[in-house]
Amino acid sequence: MGSPMEYNGGSVVAMVGKDCVAIATDLRLGQQSIGVAYNFDKVVAVNDKLYYGLPGLATDVYSLREHLRFRVNMYRMKEEREITPKTFTHLVSSSLYEKRFGPWFIEPVVAGLPQPTELDPHPKPFISTMDTIGCITTPKDFAVAGTAADKLYGAAEGLWEPDLEPDDLFETISQTLLNAVDRDCLSGWGAIVHVITQDKVVTRRLRSRMD
Amino acid sequence: MALFAPPPMYADPTMAADKQHAFNPYSENGGSILAIAGADFTVIAGDTRQSEGYSIQTRYARKVWQLTDRCVIATNGFAADGNNFVKRIKQRLEWYEHAHQKQMSIKAIARLTQTMLYGNRFFPYFAYVILGGIDEDGTGAVYSFDPIGSYEREACRAAGAAQSLIQPFLDNQIYFRNQTPAPGAEPFVPGRLPLSTVLGLVIDSFTSATEREIAVGDGLELYVVMKKGRTTDDLVGSDNLIKNMQVQELGALGEGGSERTFLVSLPLKRD
Amino acid sequence: MDTLVRQLSRPAVPVHGEDDEAYGNAAEWGSMGGYGNLSRTGAISGMTVPRVLDPISFLATHTDNLSTNPEAKIKLAHGTTCLAFKFRGGIIVAVDSRASAGSYIASGTVKKVIEINPYLLGTMAGGAADCQYWETYLGIRCRLYELRNKERISVAAASKILTNLVYQYKGMGLSMGTMIAGWDKTGPALFYVDSDGQRIKGNLFSVGSGSTFAYGVLDQGYSYDLSDEEAQDLGRRSIIAAGHRDGYSGNTCNLYHVRENGWEFIGNYDVSQEWYKYNEKEKKALEHAGKAGVQGGSPMAVEA
Repeated sequence: MGSPMEYNGGSVVAMVGKDCVAIATDLRLGQQSIGVAYNFDKVVAVNDKLYYGLPGLATDVYSLREHLRFRVNMYRMKEEREITPKTFTHLVSSSLYEKRFGPWFIEPVVAGLPQPTELDPHPKPFISTMDTIGCITTPKDFAVAGTAADKLYGAAEGLWEPDLEPDDLFETISQTLLNAVDRDCLSGWGAIVHVITQDKVVTRRLRSRMD
Repeated sequence: MALFAPPPMYADPTMAADKQHAFNPYSENGGSILAIAGADFTVIAGDTRQSEGYSIQTRYARKVWQLTDRCVIATNGFAADGNNFVKRIKQRLEWYEHAHQKQMSIKAIARLTQTMLYGNRFFPYFAYVILGGIDEDGTGAVYSFDPIGSYEREACRAAGAAQSLIQPFLDNQIYFRNQTPAPGAEPFVPGRLPLSTVLGLVIDSFTSATEREIAVGDGLELYVVMKKGRTTDDLVGSDNLIKNMQVQELGALGEGGSERTFLVSLPLKRD
Repeated sequence: MDTLVRQLSRPAVPVHGEDDEAYGNAAEWGSMGGYGNLSRTGAISGMTVPRVLDPISFLATHTDNLSTNPEAKIKLAHGTTCLAFKFRGGIIVAVDSRASAGSYIASGTVKKVIEINPYLLGTMAGGAADCQYWETYLGIRCRLYELRNKERISVAAASKILTNLVYQYKGMGLSMGTMIAGWDKTGPALFYVDSDGQRIKGNLFSVGSGSTFAYGVLDQGYSYDLSDEEAQDLGRRSIIAAGHRDGYSGNTCNLYHVRENGWEFIGNYDVSQEWYKYNEKEKKALEHAGKAGVQGGSPMAVEA
């Protein structure tokens, strides 16, 4: 059957900018070579400062998304506050590690803007990514995952620069995603980009190649 | 009709057929190559790392060679096959020059490359080949091949371990894919970028690939083939633009006064 | 039938020395050089074969022709949609231009229609090199036929040269699924030839990983009495549909029309751009009929 990681296709990328973060996904849902749907959004909002993407096996995308929704809601009720990007990353990570010997076939990408607190009045934009069993990496620049991961690495490495303003970050992440998925048979078929700043989230649908 | 003479055997004829899988003459030596054609020049580049698995065999092994005054070849894949292929094609080019009193055109070298690769259809050279140079009209030309000889002329091509990292970046920067010119601005025309821009893109491509692909690094060798009579001001004397970059002109292989080839070398990260 | 295969799999006595495996023939250099590995008489000689007991399984182990053997190091370009059909106005040939190696799109600009001569077209599916090489060789054979017989070769004869040729290599790993289209004394003619040795005359074919999608559009729109414009549009639309649904097809569509005076290249169309055009048309038609579009929301619109 081939690897479950490549069965449905799809990719996610997140990038850090100046006081902003962006996360973007393609919209393809496939069954190996066959394209099935072009409205499969792999990025979910936890709240308006925290988004995460789940590229990988589609059935696990749904299950894990519901699992995380439950855990975040429980956290919200118990703690009476919103979860921070860092805590959420650890929540995802431990959820994945619970299935250490029969993992979710998903490599999550998290992007969020931590809220200023008394201890940390100027928090830095936050992105993180994990392997299928929850090993966390928190890059300073960008995080990629999915069937176009290698293409995304190349495009991002060439296009990204530090301290991008929201508009430039949008352009950079869009160009990175679009050009990467155009070299991947299993990703593409539309794209959605979210740029998260302190005062708003701008969500745009990109007109991408449909082949 | 007998198509083939029965091949002599290395293996013991009495040996059981199921032990055959032991014969593995191929290895993968990493690295990446890249070529971009301009209006009146072509850039062909390759890193100089040669590896096997996680080990570096050498930090300096050539992947790019000058064939004629207007053609440069780059190979990637299994170094032994690549080197041997270049050796054989050089021999064929020498024979051609003796017979015709002229160097072979890049178009003809491309077809020769196809037939030579396809001649090994049943025992392929594990080599991805890219030819770069100047065609008969004086325009930059890039030809890329698969290991058994299917080929195509293109404006740019990356091959090897980092092809999937470099090519999307090149699609964006060379072919302007997914870019729309601002309203009222000049439309993008691929293949018309100035040498300085192309040089910058090639160097960026390799430094990026070096960051993320362990099989790429150590050094970069970049050949620039220029059309007859083209100015060299945008290359010669630009040594100081990039740290540790060296530019050196390669002598003419045929009669002088024709196309000119330059070798630009610079270090890449060694980790 | 498999004399060759048997010959190769049998332990054999060495008949030539180490060095004559390639380039031993003096005719190969200078102006007398043949087409690569073909000798001047047109017979094929000098294909290098590994000196192992079973060269066929050797090749199968080390190459990945159709993504069936992803562990193999040598990945060969593949993945395709090609179609051709006869109609009142001649033959339409349409192909995509994508070549993939695994899930990586190695090229989006492949010429999958091979212009054998001004009257003959061949399409490329399967191994890119196999198709390119042998259809070029077919061009040589067709030209030789013309010179010897003072008339053009028939499409039937040309396609049979190719069939017989690939049949000699049966079981050795060649991979081709090709359509030979042309116009001869008998009028328009279309043949499907593949590396198994199959050769079929027909009116409508589609080949490759996206062929089923192309057949879907082709069948619902096909009629022998189509006008030239309608037929060209049908061919193009079928490739666009296949490029859209099949992950291993796409990028651009190359469209050819074969008529009495030879083939004509109609154009190169971006699959994605064309898809958006058809999609807009469909959406408008639906709106006109008072139904909602398939997908709402304008692209690039700010939603939040």
